[in-house]
Amino acid sequence: MSATTPAALPTARAATTADRTAAQLWRTLRMPVAVLLLVLLGGLLLAAVGGGRPDGYLDPRAPGPAGSRAVAEILRDQGVVVDLVRTSATMSARARPGDTMLVALPDLLSDSQVRAVGDSGADLVLAGPAAPERFAPALVAAGPTDSGVRAPGCPLPAARRAGPADAGGRSYSVDTGTQEQTRDLGVVQCYAHDGLASLVQLRSARGALVTAVGNPAVLSNQRLAEEGNAALALGMLGRSPHLVWYLPSADDVPARDQRSLYDLLPDGVVWGLVQLCVAVLLLALWRARRLGPVVTEPLPVVVHATETVQGRARLYRRSGARDKAAAALRAASLQRLVPALGLQRRSEPATVADAVSARTTRTSADVLVLLYGAAPADDAALVGLADDLDELEREVRRP
Amino acid sequence: MALTGRAGLLALAGTLVVGLLLPSGWAVLGLLAALLALVVTDVLLAGPVRHLLLTRAGDTSVRLGESATVTLTVGNPARRRVRGSLRDAWPPSAGAAATRHPLDVPAGEWRRVQTVLRPTRRGDRPAHRVTVRSLGPLGIAARQGSHEVPWRVRVLPPFHSRRHLPSKLARLRQLDGRSAVMVRGQGSEFDSLRQYVGGDDVRSIDWRATARAAEVMVRTWRPERDRRILLVLDTGRTSAARVGDAPRLDAAMDAALLLAALAARAGDQVALLAYDRRVRARVEGESATTLLPALVQAMAPLEATLVETDYSGMVATILSRAGHRSLVVLLSALDPAPVEEGLLPVLAPLVRRHQLLLATVGDPGVAVLAAGRGHAEAVYDAAAAARAGLDRRRVGERLERHGVQIVDAPPERLPPALADRYLALKAAGRL
Repeated sequence: MSATTPAALPTARAATTADRTAAQLWRTLRMPVAVLLLVLLGGLLLAAVGGGRPDGYLDPRAPGPAGSRAVAEILRDQGVVVDLVRTSATMSARARPGDTMLVALPDLLSDSQVRAVGDSGADLVLAGPAAPERFAPALVAAGPTDSGVRAPGCPLPAARRAGPADAGGRSYSVDTGTQEQTRDLGVVQCYAHDGLASLVQLRSARGALVTAVGNPAVLSNQRLAEEGNAALALGMLGRSPHLVWYLPSADDVPARDQRSLYDLLPDGVVWGLVQLCVAVLLLALWRARRLGPVVTEPLPVVVHATETVQGRARLYRRSGARDKAAAALRAASLQRLVPALGLQRRSEPATVADAVSARTTRTSADVLVLLYGAAPADDAALVGLADDLDELEREVRRP
Repeated sequence: MALTGRAGLLALAGTLVVGLLLPSGWAVLGLLAALLALVVTDVLLAGPVRHLLLTRAGDTSVRLGESATVTLTVGNPARRRVRGSLRDAWPPSAGAAATRHPLDVPAGEWRRVQTVLRPTRRGDRPAHRVTVRSLGPLGIAARQGSHEVPWRVRVLPPFHSRRHLPSKLARLRQLDGRSAVMVRGQGSEFDSLRQYVGGDDVRSIDWRATARAAEVMVRTWRPERDRRILLVLDTGRTSAARVGDAPRLDAAMDAALLLAALAARAGDQVALLAYDRRVRARVEGESATTLLPALVQAMAPLEATLVETDYSGMVATILSRAGHRSLVVLLSALDPAPVEEGLLPVLAPLVRRHQLLLATVGDPGVAVLAAGRGHAEAVYDAAAAARAGLDRRRVGERLERHGVQIVDAPPERLPPALADRYLALKAAGRL
């Protein structure tokens, strides 16, 4: 074998890798990650601050500021049975003509639910409806007014007993120009401001009382103790011994009223999406069409010349062939040592050992063991043997 | 046929129309029909691709590492202008700088498209196809078609060892006696008689001629000329193995080229044979000036095959040549198994008639492995490498006992080592 300088070969992997390190990756990604976090945090913050109705809104079990546990408890103390219902089916089963029913979220009810509420025959108290005409056709919304404490200014007994109370919010008026012109509706408009009443009571076609409360805050725990709110609330809700508190739950939608997202989308969106698919298809066709086929390359086989040597090394190692490995290392050392010592190629071991010990400080016996001894007992001994042979060669070559 | 991005953009604009103005399925269908009509019109109006006239010109061979230019001429015999893009496809190893070119050929005119190739591998690189995409006047759709325009660029061996040639030629001139004192000896033959001038070696005075001419005459000598050298490349599996970055075969070619260049200058006859199980390439009877081009042309397409070399067939082929004594330079590997089982049994008739020189590419990687120390894995590697080295040496010694010369060097040192051995043989008159 010819001698070569190992330094000329790649001994360690050069820094040519195109992969990015973790630090580089972080430097690239930190801005997008920061923006994403900011957006998420901002969204959460907005949802927490401005999101919808507070928990327990007009819920007779809720003790929070928006809840209505206080008025429900007072009503119970006064012997009124407060019956909380969450679905329209239970509502229809419980409510009877002559009962009072508080519809806590009238705008969330579907048309069929509104019909069921009317069909129950109970007197209705609507908490701030935006479209009261669904419950009584003559009753229409008249726009928002400022919230505030006002005097009743009407003959409604409950309002008169209560005196000034929270009013405002939504306001209502009665459209007397409809088909029910002839009938006496028994309209009472209270807490008016600039001619807009925020509490209106009238009698429906079926004879049940319908009361629209423009400012449902009078029923809330927070405002109940203020002014005449409590008296007004009790007066409205406590007229009959059985109060049905209809607080529709989120899934309280009759099956036939449920509509899929698709029904709710406008046609323009649906057909626009179809057209968008066409556009995407055309763009895909544009990008997919290659300018001529891919050209293949007949590649040569890559066989590294050192593979057989490395394969043999692995075989030595797996079978623990320390004897063979040591013999090869010793033979290679001898092959270099013997010419350096000026000996014949096939010299006796004793001759070689004597010649080596004459050049070095080692004894002849030591050299004999090193160059011709038994196979090493374990891998550590083999590693030591290789180092010893190197050292011996250096000593012999040293002038 | 091919669409362009404009077709997609038009459909995208249609999304706005359908979404905001005409939300119905009929609008979608109508837009699609309109777009289809536009596409069909555009394709019909585009310049025809099928009738284009394409021809190639340019370089047919290039040395590895240098660049070649191939020109494609596109003629448009139709009455419509052809506007669009052209792709001149080449295999990846042809190293084409840019294969896509814009194209605009008016009716009845010609245009040239140049592709610059910088091949990354030796061998023949055939051009693939030429694909032309001809856009319609609206730029919505295009006609597309391919043409086969055959061309082949032969990538020649790089001959890196050229740089060694001047120093080796200087050595050759020393042998030749052109620049240094010349003494009669082995490996030289009588050249001429001339008058003695001061400084000539008195031993070279020809007394008989001096007596006839009445002046002191000296004989001059020159090295033997018109010797025969046969370079034999083994293209079998052992030459496929990679040493460093390239197969052994490439290093062998480099060494063979240096030796051929040197021997041609020295006035020797050089021939080449590439063999694995049959003759892969053969160069014979070339003059000194045409030898090197012939050699690189013959070597360029050679690749090592993964078969065991048939040494008996190789020896028979060598022996079937003219019976003059030659220097046979076998460029092969010194692996124990193929040599002991394949070459040694059939060696006798060859070495009887010719001088055999085995040049083999050593692997520096084995030397690195042999120097490994420190932990068990490295030491086992070192032991295996030491065993491989001992085996090579044993095989080499067996060959040398048959009178075979051995040159064993790593790839970058093999060409000068082989040249030196040739010069030594020449000086010793053993050719």
